[in-house]
Amino acid sequence: MSINRRQVIRGGVGFGALALAAPAVIGQAKPRAVVIGGGPGGATAAKYIAKDSQGAIDVVLVEPTREFTTCFHSNLYLGGYRDFASITHGYDKLVPYGVRLNHQLANTIDRDKKEVVLADGSRLPYDRLVVSPGIDLKYDSVPGWGQEFEETMPHAWKAGPQTQLLKRRLDAVPDGGLIVMVAPPNPYRCPPGPYERASMMLHVLKSTGRTKAKIIIVDPKENFSKQALFQEGWEKYYPGMIEWIGPKIHDGIKSVDPKTNTVVTGFETYKDAALVNVIPAQTAGKIALNAGLANQTGFCPINPENMKSAQDANIFILGDACIAGDMPKSAFSANSQAKVAAMMVRGDLTGARTFPARYANTCWSLIETDDAVKVGGAYEPKDGKIAAASTFISQTGETADVRKQTQAENMAWYSAFVTDVFA
Amino acid sequence: MLGLSLVGPGLFLVPQAQAAGDRALGEYLSTTCVSCHRPDGQSAEGIPSIIGWPSDQFVAVLKAYRDKTREHQIMNSLTSSLSDADMDALAEYFGSLSRK
Repeated sequence: MSINRRQVIRGGVGFGALALAAPAVIGQAKPRAVVIGGGPGGATAAKYIAKDSQGAIDVVLVEPTREFTTCFHSNLYLGGYRDFASITHGYDKLVPYGVRLNHQLANTIDRDKKEVVLADGSRLPYDRLVVSPGIDLKYDSVPGWGQEFEETMPHAWKAGPQTQLLKRRLDAVPDGGLIVMVAPPNPYRCPPGPYERASMMLHVLKSTGRTKAKIIIVDPKENFSKQALFQEGWEKYYPGMIEWIGPKIHDGIKSVDPKTNTVVTGFETYKDAALVNVIPAQTAGKIALNAGLANQTGFCPINPENMKSAQDANIFILGDACIAGDMPKSAFSANSQAKVAAMMVRGDLTGARTFPARYANTCWSLIETDDAVKVGGAYEPKDGKIAAASTFISQTGETADVRKQTQAENMAWYSAFVTDVFA
Repeated sequence: MLGLSLVGPGLFLVPQAQAAGDRALGEYLSTTCVSCHRPDGQSAEGIPSIIGWPSDQFVAVLKAYRDKTREHQIMNSLTSSLSDADMDALAEYFGSLSRK
């Protein structure tokens, strides 16, 4: 085909399949995109780059596991509303789009050579890299706790065996037993998550006749996501079964003792808990930290116009690992950011047409059967960050019909969303 | 219906009619919609299918959400920043999809 870059530009609209406008790939058979991390950010990015480039870009998704259990709706598994298989998804359906799966751990990123070094020492060269590693837990952020105690005091903040462990432990809590949740400081994955989790624990306790059991949430934050909605629901459905304690009351989380299931705060010591759920402070996944992509916050600054790393224009950072301005760390956010990144990767590598970035998020939370609430918004790049253009939140005092409809929406969303990410 | 056609030596895409939306823009904007609305046309209680609608009806519904004459928190929020051209583009794209 005889066409040059000037003609394409003069025509105003370039064909996505024409790689001629992309200096990064001149002299190379096919431009290469590598995606690290098979969560909602990475899997979406890999799918959309491959699907929309129709074979013009070589896409490799690097993810060590062969199945992904979603953190979103893992609280519904805890509450007995879902089985574990229904929140677990494979990657095989991404292959027909042209995604090549590499089930290894990505160890490091060699930014100078533009290569990803895998666990077996092999290297994957890239023209553009998408980094979507999720979070790592700061095991030293709660004194007395650590990775060696995550079986005793589970976090269940990465879905999988920890989620199943937490459910087993919840099911074993006796009537009259005490559950202590150590909530995380900002910023962390899934802002409403701890409080939906508490709601689901309460639902299980109440529905199995264990109404003398009690949950204490010891929170390092002054306030939390959807606070008025959760507290209204707790009072309505689970009176006397839960107490949320902020830092002005507890005066600091001093330590935990996994041997005696004790949580010590400046105000009170909770001994002999039947279950302690420690949700620690978090950082971007360590591969992002080790590659120098994070700042002093432990998360990675990005260009809000395109999701590129502020440190490296060949790298895009998605989801929980990035600093996304007003967007929360949620699967929905990661999926939204991935679509912007995928478009920009195609723009860089094939000269495909790009459009101004737009982002969206919604987070649903279930409080009790047929009573769900939501928070979300639309977002755009503004003043150097991803800024909220429009936000919404459920209202206290909504009718039962509205809440039931919100839960129906929540379930329908999950079905559509995992199809968008994994199928 | 496709509002774009190939002309000349196959180099350029040119709008065929003023009324038709920009399909490429619509396809990009649609990526937000398909986080909740399945593009294969399957739907569940709570989130309807939005594919294959007549363009004028699709745009009318989006405008009603933007004007808040039709209420839904998520749709009111997401449509608040959509221009008429964005809505035409989305109508063009989703209107071209058929149930799988």
